[in-house]
Amino acid sequence: MKRAIPAVISAATALTLVLAGCGGGDEPVDPNAPVTITLAGWSLSSTPEFKTLADGFKASHPNVTVELKEYAPGNDYDTQMITDLAAGTAPDVYVMKNLKNFYTYQSGGQLLDVSDTTSGLGSSPALASYQVDGKAYAVPYRQDSWVLFYNKDLFAKAKVAPPDGSWTWDDYTDATKRLHTGLKGAGSKATGAYQHTFQSTVQGFALAQTPNADLLSGDFGYLKPYYERSLDLQAAGAQPTFGTAKTNKLTYQAQFGKQQSAMLLMGTWYVATLLNQRQSGDADKFQWGIAPAPQFDKSTTGTSATPVTFGDPTGLGINPKISKSKTAAAKAFLQYAAGPDAGKALAGIGITPAQVTDAVTASLFGLDGVPQDELSKFAYAKHTIKPENPVSKHTAGLQNLLNETHSAILSDSKGVDAELSKAQDRAKNEVLNQ
Amino acid sequence: MTATDLSTPVPAVVAPGNRAPRRPVRSLGGRILGYAALALAAAGLLLPFFWMVVASLKTNNDVFTIPITWLPDPVVWRNYLDIWQRSDMTTWLWNTLLLSVIVTFLQVFTGSFAAYGFARVRFPGRNLLFLAYVGTIAVPWQSYMIPQFILMSKLHLSNTLWSIVAIQAFGAIGVFLMKQFYETIPEELSEAARVDGLSEYGIYRRIILPLSRPALASLALLMFTTTWNDYLGPLVYLRSPELRTIQLGLNTFISQYNAEYALIMTGSVLSVLPVAVIFLLGQRYFIEGVASTGLKG
Amino acid sequence: MATLPRTRPRNRRLVSRNTVAGWSFILPNFLGFAALTLLPVVVLFYVAFTNWNVFGVAEWTGTANFRRMWDDSSFWTALRNTVYYAAFHIPLTLAAALGLALLLNRKLRGVRFFRTIAFFPYITSIVAIAVVWNQLFSPEYGPINALLGAVGVDDPPGWTASATWSMPAVIIVGTWRYMGYYMLLFLAGLQTIPAQLYEAAETDGASPWQRFVHVTLPGLRTTTFFVTVLLTIESFKVFDLILVMTGGGPGQSTLVLSQYIYQKGFEENQFGYASAVSIVLFAICFGITVIQFMVNKRRNS
Repeated sequence: MKRAIPAVISAATALTLVLAGCGGGDEPVDPNAPVTITLAGWSLSSTPEFKTLADGFKASHPNVTVELKEYAPGNDYDTQMITDLAAGTAPDVYVMKNLKNFYTYQSGGQLLDVSDTTSGLGSSPALASYQVDGKAYAVPYRQDSWVLFYNKDLFAKAKVAPPDGSWTWDDYTDATKRLHTGLKGAGSKATGAYQHTFQSTVQGFALAQTPNADLLSGDFGYLKPYYERSLDLQAAGAQPTFGTAKTNKLTYQAQFGKQQSAMLLMGTWYVATLLNQRQSGDADKFQWGIAPAPQFDKSTTGTSATPVTFGDPTGLGINPKISKSKTAAAKAFLQYAAGPDAGKALAGIGITPAQVTDAVTASLFGLDGVPQDELSKFAYAKHTIKPENPVSKHTAGLQNLLNETHSAILSDSKGVDAELSKAQDRAKNEVLNQ
Repeated sequence: MTATDLSTPVPAVVAPGNRAPRRPVRSLGGRILGYAALALAAAGLLLPFFWMVVASLKTNNDVFTIPITWLPDPVVWRNYLDIWQRSDMTTWLWNTLLLSVIVTFLQVFTGSFAAYGFARVRFPGRNLLFLAYVGTIAVPWQSYMIPQFILMSKLHLSNTLWSIVAIQAFGAIGVFLMKQFYETIPEELSEAARVDGLSEYGIYRRIILPLSRPALASLALLMFTTTWNDYLGPLVYLRSPELRTIQLGLNTFISQYNAEYALIMTGSVLSVLPVAVIFLLGQRYFIEGVASTGLKG
Repeated sequence: MATLPRTRPRNRRLVSRNTVAGWSFILPNFLGFAALTLLPVVVLFYVAFTNWNVFGVAEWTGTANFRRMWDDSSFWTALRNTVYYAAFHIPLTLAAALGLALLLNRKLRGVRFFRTIAFFPYITSIVAIAVVWNQLFSPEYGPINALLGAVGVDDPPGWTASATWSMPAVIIVGTWRYMGYYMLLFLAGLQTIPAQLYEAAETDGASPWQRFVHVTLPGLRTTTFFVTVLLTIESFKVFDLILVMTGGGPGQSTLVLSQYIYQKGFEENQFGYASAVSIVLFAICFGITVIQFMVNKRRNS
């Protein structure tokens, strides 16, 4: 309650404080005593990364215990975290799922300056995203990137040549259609590709790959060719329509894992999920591979070039209300989580850490069930990753607006041009002028 | 239900002509027509529910098929065993039951008491106060939940089941509903009692409460269902997994097993059953009840 | 007339005694209500005139939020959609609930079972409802469109996957979900209509329709009023149903005010603005309710 808050609330809370008879913080006196810091996570039983980090840190810092606090999954995580931070009941260390929300927390004064933890972490672009006015407010512990997952068995069945790293989007569209006819001819009901309902599946690539594309400019013309290809594939029946995916609540895990679609553009987090589901029987066991995402043009294709893709880092930040005696331990934890040791541990459970080193790639590709071909390793390790949500005051507003545009275009109501120009008008009049 | 007129003690003060025996349907044609209409309405109402039950008895891969299959083949009863092992269904049900009972009790008790004050005692500022009650019903909760949450956290109530009790138990709906009921009870009753020297509390306890017992049952049922179904409240206030309610639990279950729709449907069916049973048991009081308080036009 | 001066002090005493009695009845509920609902609502009215960002920093901005709303086309879209929903949901639910209540107010075997069934939609988890209905509405594979195709509709609607039909789909589900709840209130009202009135009407040779218009409807006036007030507020505040069914889409076709408030507050960190929109939503609900109260009062007298 250090900041200026509405007078009414402070009066009310003062009253309730008296009623509740509670006082200020309780600071432990002895700095050498065992410390417990709390860390927010979600779906702890099915998301092992938090426990991996906590255990790994404990091994090198035996006096520090990282206690996990469970939050709701999905968007509900942020709802709960925002209310907890507003009320001062949030844990010491918490996760920012993407950069869209980072701005909310940072500008709201809910992140401690952690610049001193970033010294040993080099200068990755992910790190830069968390810097405001030269100070770092969070560190990345995961950096997923979007790649193309493909089913080798289905490609063979359809007699279509699998991806070789040279694909542009036109090649991808063409291959999807040929897969569709090929699979149909072979008596399979699988579709050529599955495009999940996320706006990222179109907009993330368009923003990252199109030269001079800028979300914050409010000019969304760069989205047009990407949407036209999606609509083309929908119309050809080569991928389930947006409407079908929405109304039947199709999940990308089942679409790809149960071999209902031969290709899937998705973030690298899906590697861990797919491996788990193969174990549990929720996914079939088939030959699969990873290829670089299709590219804007030929200049970034081929294994001698560096493909461009997108992905937001997942970051850890410290709650400014943490008691002073715990700050050092929390910062040490951040340093560990963003560093190479945690990276190897995370790769061991199929998670892509903030820095993909050779050791990380080796560790991930050493897991049972991961494809061993060179293209998969290349796609996993080599790329330029651009953020999906460039950090700014207007990002959340623009992304919400573009999410509405996404569903409007793909449900094919008024056409790409009309919807994009409407989005541009709204961006100008409702978001960028604020 | 046919014994409506006999089973409840008819309050002597209500004029007999005021009571409405349910009209018997005389002709066979009318009866058949009635059943046909009922069957049709029930089919429409139940179609989605039927689909839910069917889906809960299918294997996961059979839930979404093209074209849709209307009967499970084979019937998978296993889902109803699996769900207890793969989720904390017992904890969720217990928490929700506990909450619903406490909230219902408090809401009925304080709500009916306050409603009597609003309906029967004339004092300055009463109407303004009542307007404030009705007014807050019109404010969407998500817009004031942050100030409320801050308050509750200062009281150290957040992340306890008490927080849900606190936010649900003093709602305005119960007061509004009970006030409507009380206003239909003839004023002369209280007048007569006042002449006999009964205090307002005495009138409430001796005259009004017995008359409105069934109305209270109806409020209790509605409150129980509302608390049972609440999602946003528990989402905002509860963190610890062992405090989860059924709706919150179901939702985490869904995100955990995102593709397992058969199990999700099993969970949904199980979450409906307890309320359905309570409703079936309680509806005798519920429906008769309203009749004997004489909610009349 | 001579007694007039004497009644005054008695009245005053009566008033103060009544005030004490009245407050003592209201107090147990009012304490909780004032602290946990009224106080936060008052804070909300303050916040609506600031640029509060959820976490603390709030500056008084006067009517800036309301002026911004005036030029915000998304706000108007949300308002239009909310009115669209309410305009159909209120009469449809009223009619369906009343119809069901009339049906279930008969002495038929199994009527108790049917009443429970009618209440099922209301007690079913909203998440399950969204999953099931979305599937039933699925444009290509859903049973609803299969049925429409079978009765000769060539070009069945796209329902939740189409900007034109998503709102009707949501209205259908909303009506389906809530009619059981209001049916019970109507059922309660119906049972209090004296049977003699029907008998008298029958003796006069009134047709079933005439009996409905001249006996049933007037007899249900209090209930209808109460149901309409609740239904109005519920319709304008509709939130979770739309959130899980369509998420406001496709495009902005089912974006409603409550959802817009949530979006601006929790997703875009503009709690001051979100509060201002809430005030407008509140004013609309409250205004309509007060009008309903006044109309009801005039009719009663």
